[in-house]
This record gives sequence, structure tokens and C-alpha cells, in this order.
Amino acid sequence: MTTVTVNGVKREIQAPGNTPLLYVLRNDLELTGPQFGCGMAQCGACSVLLNGNEVRSCIMTLSSAAGKEVTTLEGLPARWAKQKGLSEAEAAQTLHPVQEAWIAEQTPLCGFCQNGMMIKATELLERVSSPSVAQIKEAFTSGVSPHLCRCGSYTAIIQAVQRAGTAMAKRSDA
Amino acid sequence: MSDRTELFGAALSRRGFVKTGGALLATFAFTTAEGQQKPGIADSLNPALPESWIEIHADNTILIRTGRSDFGQGTIFTAYRQIVAEELSAPFEAITTVVSGDTDRTPDGGGTFDLLGGGTPNIRKAAAYVHQALLSLASQRFGVPKDQLTAQDGIVSGGGKSVSYGDLVKNQKLSLTIPVKGDVASMFGLTIDGNPPLKPVSQYTVIGKSFPNSVTVSKVTAKETWVTDVRLPGMLHARMVHPRTLGSKLISAGTPDKTRFPNAQVVVKGNLVGVVAPTEWEAIQAAEQVAAGTKWSDWKGLPGHERLFHFLKEDADWKTAHVATSKTSKGDTAATIVSSPKKLSASYQLPFFKHAPIGPTMAVADVRPDGLVYLYTHTQNPQALRSGIAHMLTTSVDKVVVRTFAGPGHYGRSNGGNAGAEDEAVILSQAVGKPVRVQWMRPDDFQWSTQSSAALAEVQLGLDANGGLSAFEINHYMPAMQDDRLVGAILAGLPTIPAPNEKGSMFGVENSLHDAWVYDVPPALLERAYGTTQIGQSSSPLNVGLRDHSLRTPGQYQQNFPRELAVTEAAVLAGADPLEFRIQHTRDKRLIGVLESVREASGWKTPFPEKLTDNGVSRGRGVSVMLRSGSYWACVAHIAVNRSTGTIKVEKITMSVDPGIVVNPAQLKRQVEGGALMGVSMTLLEELRFDESGINATDWKSYPILTMADAPEVNVVLINNPEVGRYGQGSEAANALAAPAIAGALLDATGKVARRLPLKPEYVQAVLKA
Repeated sequence: MTTVTVNGVKREIQAPGNTPLLYVLRNDLELTGPQFGCGMAQCGACSVLLNGNEVRSCIMTLSSAAGKEVTTLEGLPARWAKQKGLSEAEAAQTLHPVQEAWIAEQTPLCGFCQNGMMIKATELLERVSSPSVAQIKEAFTSGVSPHLCRCGSYTAIIQAVQRAGTAMAKRSDA
Repeated sequence: MSDRTELFGAALSRRGFVKTGGALLATFAFTTAEGQQKPGIADSLNPALPESWIEIHADNTILIRTGRSDFGQGTIFTAYRQIVAEELSAPFEAITTVVSGDTDRTPDGGGTFDLLGGGTPNIRKAAAYVHQALLSLASQRFGVPKDQLTAQDGIVSGGGKSVSYGDLVKNQKLSLTIPVKGDVASMFGLTIDGNPPLKPVSQYTVIGKSFPNSVTVSKVTAKETWVTDVRLPGMLHARMVHPRTLGSKLISAGTPDKTRFPNAQVVVKGNLVGVVAPTEWEAIQAAEQVAAGTKWSDWKGLPGHERLFHFLKEDADWKTAHVATSKTSKGDTAATIVSSPKKLSASYQLPFFKHAPIGPTMAVADVRPDGLVYLYTHTQNPQALRSGIAHMLTTSVDKVVVRTFAGPGHYGRSNGGNAGAEDEAVILSQAVGKPVRVQWMRPDDFQWSTQSSAALAEVQLGLDANGGLSAFEINHYMPAMQDDRLVGAILAGLPTIPAPNEKGSMFGVENSLHDAWVYDVPPALLERAYGTTQIGQSSSPLNVGLRDHSLRTPGQYQQNFPRELAVTEAAVLAGADPLEFRIQHTRDKRLIGVLESVREASGWKTPFPEKLTDNGVSRGRGVSVMLRSGSYWACVAHIAVNRSTGTIKVEKITMSVDPGIVVNPAQLKRQVEGGALMGVSMTLLEELRFDESGINATDWKSYPILTMADAPEVNVVLINNPEVGRYGQGSEAANALAAPAIAGALLDATGKVARRLPLKPEYVQAVLKA
């Protein structure tokens, strides 16, 4: 039995400790935001936040996530609500500014990679409030591997990150 | 109203009255050879399901159905809704439900290509028929002739009265029968046969606006049911153990360690080996162990990547397939070139590309005890897949249902039905008697999926004394480009359609002219296309080899790159500006229009002001054009090339497109931006490496694609051209334009021509040194 906090809730998980976190999230917890892309930490489709850091859930074992806090795409609205101290009623109505920006910019084409893109954007924007294009490109292509999009939505992603950054900065001032 | 009303070949009838609700259902009937209508075939396993295209509900909501599946570009959820709303004169928002791609829930079939149907997709005609039916109903209700009625925002008015569409159908069961032709389970599906009056373009209010894609919200908030999310009760997880080479036969299958993997089960059928288990992680680990213990025969039947173009030029048999010659061909190119003062002879080479979806193919199959097959997948052609599965199982198509879901974009790989895993899931489900989910791993996807065919082109051209094209000859060589056989069926020794051969199959080995000549025809023009069998297929004991399949602009990509780069070379030979040279060689106003547009938008200046810079970097710009599915495209690439390393950096891509009527500007812009970047990726990075036995690519390191770091600025200019009177399509053309534009820019920057893709640093370096 492994205990992991997922999207703010403590979960007791039966799966063997060497199971990659991705399969635990998708099959045991039915959190389908993270996608299987390569199983080798080469694409970023499976990304989640682990204690606020973007990690590839396809190569991270369940054991190594024990006792830590995992945020998936499903948990982004609550993460934002908690950071902003929103009431439960407000929280239920809100999306994370990153998700709102992705919708406003109509970023996804097929959308399969966008889970990882939004997770990466959230990690970046929690650290850098108004990143430049160069900073965005650096964030999305450094680390364990670049985040890959086959449809070529990089232009839309950059625009969405900047839109989300502006929105988050504004709400921080308020 | 009377019981039956004839409407432009369709028939409107009232089947009865109901106390609550009420609807107008547009169903279909076949037009027979005698021109008489007979009832539609039962396409649904549940006869209670209405086989309708469009339902107008009493509450003023509208439901539409299409057999086409959304392929990630959102056209089904944006442009299709706009087209229907426009023809109906109803609000876009009234269309609350779009049912697409499920073989038991949609009427017409067909694939996700030619989505706008040459301007009149089925759904547009269906809507136009429904509109006529609504006008008929209103005419009878008001006692006012149809031509004195107007419709707007879902309300018909005339003779001082108004009624909403919902009220028109309230408490009635109305049926509209539309004539159709074709075979629903074929690759092309059914086509509405009949010509209802269409709304004049000048009256458009919905088309041309940037409505958002209704699926975006569910994808961004993790509420979408992706194909990867399909879970059935009792479902087992499976991983495949594919043959070691593209021609290996099974000697013996390995076995999983029963203490470590107590619930894993190996399924062997012919050369098909799969491992199933209740949990995904057990299936993965057990399959790895089984793979390690499985013995395969050896096979070496491929030329190897290094010898690919030598093989295509010297060894491949181009004589068995009919040689296609374009209709635009005329004159004697050889004689004209001989007498031309300037001439050029060159060959152009394109490698195999992978579709390379971000998620490997997967599917869930449920073969039930009564022989019914339910298949859950992401496919471009659900009805063709249904047909292929029925063929494999030697059963009738009525026994197979294909349901489609969102999935990773693979840009044409399942054009004829399957993307790879569907048939294997069916075979395993049948074997174990439970629903089975087959997920290919990353190496399976690179090594066992189809690829976009490699190609070779030979060009000879001549210029007259004024620097105009006097003759242009282009000979295209490409192996069969579309193999629709189910690979699992091949491995299992089950029936498939024939491999592409000289007699046909869905597409034979013949090549055709995929890239129409867009310029004024020079005094002599010869365009020919040669085809041959897929490489390694005939010598593979499995009859597999390097299977090919359409990728975005199938065949046209392979033919446009050599044509457009050669035209740029001709311009340089003439001492002309390549963009102006193109304008001088056409009187087609739409072609001139996109060229002038891209010249302005890209800041194209002659001479190029900033060509040489210090630190060994040269800059250049190139141009390319394409005509695809009624849309005109022009592209300008600005690049910087490091003269010592050969590294090309694409700094800016500018694209101008005139599709006729722009249906949804914002969505089209995103589609074009994406295509442009995929095109840059293919141009700079992509080539499938293979040895004598099989494909060497296993992951994103051995088949790299563009990352955000190297993504250039992309500018898109949309030219709305309503006078054309139709919506052109083919946003996939965007991916093809980059290669000739970038190679043209390299020529501009360095004076050297690189005629082989991809333009990797070591190759460019060698070209610059030569």
C-alpha cells in the first residue's frame, strides 16, 4: 500500500510499488489527463506536477511518489483556487488561468500533448510571472526532454503561455 | 400538409403525430439504377436508432450526424456546424449535438479527407434539403408560397406570420428521405445524390466567423473521453510482441514467468504474438519477458537507408505499373530543351517519413459470444475499418461496429481504416473471450506502422532567350503509397484485401500526377508518374516490407518539392527573382494573388538586403506554391544557414492562402500554423532510417521531430475570396510548402542547391563544400 496525495486528496494505492505513476493515475485513480506517449520520458504527454515540479509520470515509480503531492491536469483548477484562497463555491466555478488561456487561444489541434504543455506552463508561470518567448522556449525544451507536439501547435502554445502569464500577474495584483 | 412532398429529388412525409416533442428526421434512401428509391439499408445494429443526418427538435435544438470522424483539426465541430447553420438559416449555437464517426450512429461513412467535399459536403446538402422541408412546412401552415418566405435565425416568416423551426415540427413525426449513392462501408462512403438549392454566398452570416471548437474545453479540462480512456467491464490489457524483422516468421514464442506474472496469458496466432493481463503493468512486463524469449527467423530483404535512392533509381521495377502522363503535357520537351539556350537537369530525393503520432496506436475490441464485434478507436475511416475487420473475420459488416474517439493526430495513417492496433485487439479479444485493449509501445509504432513513401524525381528544363520556361519535364518515381491491409491480420494469416499490386487493391501500385501544374503551360511540358511495389514486400515471407500510407498531402508532397525547387532553380538560372519569375509565368489571378500577398506579408525585397552576415552565417529566402483541393497557397521561408556547420535555422515562415470562402478564420489560421511547423520539421529533421531487415527508429531520439526551440515565427494571411463561390480546403497543404521554400532559401543564401530531404547539417555541409 502506497500513500500519495493526488490533487489535494490522500490516496491509498494497492498497485505494486514499481508501477509507473502514469498507470496508477490512469487505471487506478481514473485521472486521464496525463497521456501515454512514449514511456521513456522523451515527449512530455504524461507530465504531472510532483511537489510543484514537472515530472514524467511514465518513468516515475509509484514508490518514488510516496508521501508526495501530485497535481494532474484535473487538479489545476483546485491548485489555483487554493493559491488564490478562493472559496469552495468560487473554486467550483473556476479553471486555472492556463486552461482559460488554452481555450481563449484555441491552442490544441489534436490536443494529445497539451496535458504536458499545460502542466509545464503551470510550473513555469508559478516561477516566472511574465516569461519572454526565449524563456518559454527554454522551459519547454530543457529538462528531461523537450515537450513534443506533432501538430505543430508551438506558436499557439507560446501565445497561450503569455496570455496566462498576463492573467495570473493581473490577479496577483488584485 | 399532404402526406408526401417532393423536394428536389427528396421526399418529405409525415409519419404521424406525437403528443410531446416531435422532430424532423432526415434519413436516406438509395437511388437505384432505375432512378427509383428504395429504403435505406440497415446500417445500425439497433434498428431503433434513427439513421439521420440532421434532427430539428421541437425545442429548437438541432443535432447533426456525420460518418466522418474529427481528426484533431476540429473541422467537424466548427466548419461543419457553421455550414449546417448557414444552409438552415439557424443560429450556430442551435446545433447542440454533433455525432460523428460511429458506424452505428451515423449515416454516410467516408473518411476524414476532402472534408469540405469540393465545397458541397454531404452535410451541406442534407442541411439544404432540410431547409427546403422546413420552408414547405411553413408554406402549408401559412398558406403562403415558398418563394415568399424568408428564414433567419431559425425562424420562418411570410405573409405577416412567423414560426420557429421547433414549432414547425412540434407534435409531428416528420421524415425527409434524401437520395444517396455509393457504398457506406467503402473508403468513400455514401454521397448525397441530388442538388437542392443552396443558400447564396452573398447572404452568409455564419460562415466566415471564428467560432471556437466546442471540443477544446473538454480536452483542456481533462473531460474529453479519449480513445486511450475507453475501459470496458472485464477488459484485459495487452501488449504485442512483433516480429524481429519485417520478414521474420515465428519459430517459438516465449513464456512469462508464472510466479512473477501469474495472470499473464500469451496468445499466438500464426506470426502474431500478444500478451494479455488484467493490469497494464503486468501486461507490459510480461510482454517484455515473452519478447526476450521469442525466436524469429532472420530476414534481410530491404536495400537499407543508405542505398535507398540508388535502389529506386537502378533496382526498382518501374515497368509493370502503368505510367501516368498528365493531361497538361504537350509538345516535345527533349527537342525543345536541346534547342534552349539555358537548361538544367537534376534529380530530387525524398526519404520515408513517419506519421509519428505523439501517442502510439491503440484500440479496444470486444468480440462477443454472439459474434458481434465492437471496436473503439481513433480512425480516419471508421466504415473502411469496419469493412476490413469484417473481411478479416469472414463475417458480414453488419456484425461489426466501430466507435471513434479523439486520439493523437496521425495525419493520414488510418485513411483506409486502421492505424495499427485495431485488428490485433479484435484477434486477441476473440482468442480470450474478453474485451482487450491493445496499446502499442513507442518502438512498435515506429517499426510496425506504415510510412509516407520515399520518392525520386528527375527534372529537365529549358529557358528561352528571354529567360522564360521553354520546356519542363518531370518524371516522378514512387512506390505504392497506400497499403490498407490490416497488419495484425497479415501476421495472423487471416484474410486481408490484397497488397497493392498491378491489379489494384484499394490503391494499386500505379502512381499518378498528384501535383497539378499551376503555371501557364510552357511550349513543351511533360509530367509523368511511375509506380512500383512497396520496398521489400514481395521478398518478405510475411508479405510485409516497408508498408506505405498517405501522410497529409499524399503524393503531392513528393511531387511538389521537386517541381517547386526546380522552378526556383529555373528562376536563378534566368537571373530572375524566384517570386517574380512565378508571377511572370502565370495568368491565374488567384495564384498571382497569393504570390503578391506573400511577397508583401513576408517583406520580400529584391535584392535581399541582409544576405551575408559575419560569423559564417548566410541568410536567404525562398518561395513555393501549391494548388490543392481548390485552394491556392504561397509560402516564403526566411532562413539563416551556418556555412561551416551546415545548420539551417528557419527564422520565419509566411503563408498566404486563398481557399475561396474562408469558413472559420481563427481555426484555419491555427491549422495552417501547425501545418507550417510540421513542414519545417519534415524538411530539417525527418527521415526514416532502416537497414536490410527493418526500421531502425524506435523512439524520438532516432526519429527526432521539431521542438519549440527551433520553431520559427509563423505568419498566416487568409484571403477570403467569396467570388469563388465555394469553400476550398486542404489545410494540410501547409505542411508541404515549407520544404521547397526552405531549399529555395538555401539556394538564395549560398548559391548551392540541396535536392535531397531532409536538410540535415551534415548533408548541407557536404552540398556547400561541393
